[in-house]
Amino acid sequence: MSREEYQVPTGSGSPAVGTGSFGASAPRDYAADGGGTMYYICGDCSVRVPLEKGAAIRCQKCGARVLYKERTKRMVQFEAR
Amino acid sequence: MPHKPPTAEELERRKIVGINEETITDVSSTDYPGHYPGEDHSWDIEAFRRGFRIEFHKNDPFEASFSLIGIDASIANAFRRIMIADIPTLAIETVFINNNTSVIQDEVLSHRLGLIPFKGGHKGLHKFLKWWRRPSDESQVNNSYYDYNTVSLRLEVKCEHNEKAAPGETDPTKLYKHAHVYARDIEFCPVGRQSKYFSGDDAIAPVNPDILIAKLRPGQEISLSMHMHKGVGSDHAKFSPVATASYRLMPVIKIERPILGADAEKFARCFPRGVIALEKVTKKEAAQKGSGYEGHEGEFKAVVADPMRDTVSRECLRHEEFRGKVKLGRRRDHFIYLVESTGQWESDAIFLEAVAHLKKRAQDLEKQVINMVR
Amino acid sequence: MPRAKAKKEEPVEAGSDVDMEEAPTSHQPENTDDMSVDQDDNDEEEGFEEDEEDEEDDVQRVRLLPGSTPTAASFEFLNEGHTLGNALRYIIMKNPDVEFCAYAIPHPSEAKMNVRIQTFEGTTAIQALQKGLQDLQELCDIVTDKFIDARERYAATTSS
Repeated sequence: MSREEYQVPTGSGSPAVGTGSFGASAPRDYAADGGGTMYYICGDCSVRVPLEKGAAIRCQKCGARVLYKERTKRMVQFEAR
Repeated sequence: MPHKPPTAEELERRKIVGINEETITDVSSTDYPGHYPGEDHSWDIEAFRRGFRIEFHKNDPFEASFSLIGIDASIANAFRRIMIADIPTLAIETVFINNNTSVIQDEVLSHRLGLIPFKGGHKGLHKFLKWWRRPSDESQVNNSYYDYNTVSLRLEVKCEHNEKAAPGETDPTKLYKHAHVYARDIEFCPVGRQSKYFSGDDAIAPVNPDILIAKLRPGQEISLSMHMHKGVGSDHAKFSPVATASYRLMPVIKIERPILGADAEKFARCFPRGVIALEKVTKKEAAQKGSGYEGHEGEFKAVVADPMRDTVSRECLRHEEFRGKVKLGRRRDHFIYLVESTGQWESDAIFLEAVAHLKKRAQDLEKQVINMVR
Repeated sequence: MPRAKAKKEEPVEAGSDVDMEEAPTSHQPENTDDMSVDQDDNDEEEGFEEDEEDEEDDVQRVRLLPGSTPTAASFEFLNEGHTLGNALRYIIMKNPDVEFCAYAIPHPSEAKMNVRIQTFEGTTAIQALQKGLQDLQELCDIVTDKFIDARERYAATTSS
């Protein structure tokens, strides 16, 4: 499975080589642009939960303590084999 | 020493593969020069033309059946193998997944998409579209997709609640919109000259629009685009133009001594329906001395009606009452083909393409041999 | 406006994505540049170029193996298998000047097929191989003709 490798976003750096070139832009970490807010998915009620750095790991809606990471926003490439 | 040419019966006998209760006999062909002293079996194109016959049994787009009679197994097998592994078709090769929140994993979804057979305008598929080859320079991959070697598809489905659903409804397809993702939801995105070759009825589309790809629940989404390329079955089975391309040898049933009355009915039941028919013993036959029919006028006798329908189960050889009365076999040079297309080609066209392919291979190799000597 | 050899408008993915500026330059669509590379609008539409098949033709796929004499030779075919091997073996064995012919695939993970030909005096193994390939082509022509005939006959009987 040729899941594209992670590439550090270089901004203006030299062009990256390798299979990643088809990959879409690598979005910045939420931590970088969202002032430390990351979004998770509640394992119980599936609501999108914003979490600050150091906040209690808990769904604000239902109080469930199991949160899942969101799926990557990047395009992922697969061979149909 | 003068040699007697073989009789017609002898030639006929040589063509039969014997099938006994537990064993088979005379499997290999013997029609080679030097095998029978004094007989000439050298390759003669005119003799082949005279002796070779093709008969059609069925010719539908998705299923063709025909017999090649008077050809060697090595050639017949080459055609069969080429149909399965060497005739190119277009199939999904790469999947670019933007989002997939369904329960089916990206890898599995991609694999399922790859296996969907597609159809499209024949001229565009077979003439216009060319091979795509991965560039040796990996960084040039994105510059290697052209309208003549890549077909783009998209699949964008989002499942939502259906407000109009009746209260108490339990059927997910009515309760939600797009609960099921079908092959028909795949959208063809023509690029460049593709719109000329693949428009209207000739558009690239799944052969069967009802193939279920995934199931969704409200909030789940599949969003992806795909690239199709030409490929051959030897690379991956998804590229094979046929679901089935097989042959079997024509069965031979020889009733050597009469099977009469209740035995005849039992004998018929040993075979698939229609293979054995029951006929009344005529007055003339009954009068014939030594025929085995004496005094049986009006009784039923078993006759072979349609050996092609036989499965050669050998059931009749298991019963004591038929011992020595029947001989089973198969005709070594009679190949009954069954070709089932997956839809990108017509079934009969696949065979013709296979023959053309073998010719092309021989032609190319002949050039290579000449080149080798030089 | 269909453009001959137009680059496929690939960066659907890239374009719809967030934060385009953050992507490495190689990730960004190079639209303006390569769209103008092959603008060959006058390209004859029916002219299906047969170019890309030639590159495979250039490599020599048949080789005479060491130890071969004119009348007894082994050939090595690259990228051939049972499909052609057995068909070729049959048609060469039908040649009365051939004493012996056999094919083998020495190892299943190597895409190689060997053919051994021994002939009687008066001809050579190479000639026998060449004749075999020619006979195979003639055979294919007859099969095609008879197949088309049989199909027409069948269509005539079923359409009425």
